Amino acid sequence: METARLSIESLNKSFASPVLRDVSLSIKHGEIHAIVGENGAGKSTLVNILAGLLPRDSGDIRLDGLAYAPTSPADGFAAGVSFAAQELSVVGTLSIAENICLRSLPRGTVCIDRGKLYERARKLLQVVGLERLAPETIAESLSLADQQLVELAKAMSAECRVLILDEPTAALTTAQAERLHTIITDLAATGTSIIYISHRLDDVLSVSDTISVLRDGRVVASVAADALAVADIFEMMTGRVHQDTAATVISGHRQEPVLVAAAITTRELPKPISFTCCTGEITGIAGLAGAGRSDLLKALFGLVPLTAGSVFRCTDTAKTNIANASHAVRMGVGYLPKDRKSSGIFSGQSVLANMILPGIGKVASSMGLIDRSRELHVGKTFAAQLAIRCSSLQQDIDQLSGGNQQKALLARWLHCDSDILLLDDPTRGIDVGAKNAIYERTNCVAAARALCWSRAKLKNSCRCAAEFWSCPTAPW
Amino acid sequence: MMNILRFVRRHTEENFIVASLVLLILYFGFATEHFFSLVTLTTILNQLPALTVVTVGMTFVLIVAGIDLSVGSVLGLSAAVVGVATVGLGVPLPLACLIGLGAGLLCGSVNGLLVAYFSLPSFIVTLGMLEMARGLAYVSTDSQTVYIGADIQALAMPIPGLGVSIALIFSVALVIGGQFLLTRTVFGRYIVAIGTNEQAARMSGINVRPYRMLVLAVSGALAGLGGVFNAAYLGSADPNAGIGLELSAIAAAVIGGTSLMGGRGTIIGAFAGVLIIAILQNGLAQIGVAEPTKRLMTGAVIIVAVLIDQWRAKRKPG
Repeated sequence: METARLSIESLNKSFASPVLRDVSLSIKHGEIHAIVGENGAGKSTLVNILAGLLPRDSGDIRLDGLAYAPTSPADGFAAGVSFAAQELSVVGTLSIAENICLRSLPRGTVCIDRGKLYERARKLLQVVGLERLAPETIAESLSLADQQLVELAKAMSAECRVLILDEPTAALTTAQAERLHTIITDLAATGTSIIYISHRLDDVLSVSDTISVLRDGRVVASVAADALAVADIFEMMTGRVHQDTAATVISGHRQEPVLVAAAITTRELPKPISFTCCTGEITGIAGLAGAGRSDLLKALFGLVPLTAGSVFRCTDTAKTNIANASHAVRMGVGYLPKDRKSSGIFSGQSVLANMILPGIGKVASSMGLIDRSRELHVGKTFAAQLAIRCSSLQQDIDQLSGGNQQKALLARWLHCDSDILLLDDPTRGIDVGAKNAIYERTNCVAAARALCWSRAKLKNSCRCAAEFWSCPTAPW
Repeated sequence: MMNILRFVRRHTEENFIVASLVLLILYFGFATEHFFSLVTLTTILNQLPALTVVTVGMTFVLIVAGIDLSVGSVLGLSAAVVGVATVGLGVPLPLACLIGLGAGLLCGSVNGLLVAYFSLPSFIVTLGMLEMARGLAYVSTDSQTVYIGADIQALAMPIPGLGVSIALIFSVALVIGGQFLLTRTVFGRYIVAIGTNEQAARMSGINVRPYRMLVLAVSGALAGLGGVFNAAYLGSADPNAGIGLELSAIAAAVIGGTSLMGGRGTIIGAFAGVLIIAILQNGLAQIGVAEPTKRLMTGAVIIVAVLIDQWRAKRKPG
């Protein structure tokens, strides 16, 4: 029997807790081998070990039958394992050729040997289908898709035996992704093995030969791609039965719709999406990372420009098109962003200021003067209601736990009396107690409001979703 | 006793500035013969209005995480405009002062427009305006100081029996008003929010651009006002007026606890910063320190103030 290109035996790695447990994989010559799994399943750790970015705890890795233990990415590259990371590492101000050969620029007697540089670059550009570009072109003038291909060219060399691609299509359009897939399929045909990581399960199915599924650091399956459908992969990834992507109304005498998305598309969501949110309902939006959950909520809140369709706020008397975020707030829409630290809290400001800000007009006179006693009263009311634990309302918000910060952010919109709450994974990364407080509070207020709740895991969405709308693999 | 300690610890920021101010005054008071005199006090105070109003504007700009390097030149331009309007064109003085103010507002609005709506960095835009406004000041006055006369000096002369000038009263009122605006109004809270985390501000539904624009426009207008005060203090329009003033204003704001990263600062603190710089300058002059040494020491004070500020910020969480 032919020896595998790359074989991994009982690989273990833990940081504070085990991340990879007894992982064994075998990757054949010229195979496109996809690795899929939820966030935190261990995909990145695995490829980082293969690329020489992280040391392993135990286990055996063999490359063409020989022990392989890289201590640095350069080490791995020399052995024939290349890694194109998720974040582009193209240096915008250098030429394409310099980027491609950055690892070992050909040296003349004193300067870089330009002739050799361009020749080598031209060869690699041809492999990735970019022969139309001159190697001396400055990299930042290229489109994102072309930069991704330059990155790919950089990862390849004559001795490239295993090529690791981490989310190569994350920033690409469907057509661009297809082009990339053609290129890697051709590349695999020449004998290079490709490890392909992606959240786009459709892509994974269409391009790969074998799919390995990681869950909680274990390989739960490693099977031929032809035998699988998206639903199967999803089930293996999450350990749960896959729900149909069509809307499933679990309980529902529908009330008046208050927020209507009419065939909206954005740059990130190319396929039109339509749905309605009604008062007294919680609309659950489920999907894996990268499926477009956050993009959808941002679009509803008017944070990203729509390329088609429109978002309407409906009241008894009028139907208004939501133009931008500040308009959305005025129309009674509240939004809890996914990334609490970077786009939620005002770091260095007091808990009170953080709770009050969007609805500050409510505690101010028409001239804009703030009534401080009313402000404090509102703060105390919500702090008690949501059981926000802080030494005083004047405490710096950074000193609070994530859960208490999230409660303070939720208080913002409750104070604003927003009738529509867009919550982007509001219980992500917070402790159980705070989670329960948020579930409880949202369930309490849900009767008079329309909630739109995005979540990676389906189970918890179900728990509070009256209407359930799932899109595990992104219909867009 | 514990309560007092806790109180002091909680208000380190304010206490630190006030304590340094008091220490400075005491030191110079005992080191020289004339420092503790009404004359010295009024002399110092009546020099301040131009720097004070400019610093108020600058502090707002810094809090919203921008910077305005053009204030010194805009002040010079405004003074030049007042001079040319009254002397060259015979415009009545009050109207000329308004035109000077308007010139400042115009420069500030151009800054604001470019920063807020064309997304250019405020550092670059206001650096360009620094050159342009100074150039205009020279062009309009033919690089000559224009003598305006005694009328305008009424603004800057101490009112008999009161010891302070109209300009000073106005600038102190502006400080108080600015502090009120910053801490007690929706506008102020929005400014702080934008300066702290622009992304979060946008996601809270704040329309960021008009605020950015407004703050720079106001800074320009206040620099224009500073130009009027400067002309009043000198009795003439000097096209060189305000060279390097932007740096003094930034220094005053920073000494007063304003963060260059945005989101943190007070107008009162910045005013204390103005006082510290002024007292340091005058005090050092009185004890006979020469100009080069004075500059050296002022620079050191600025750096030490920022060092202490950073140390305080680091200690805060935890």
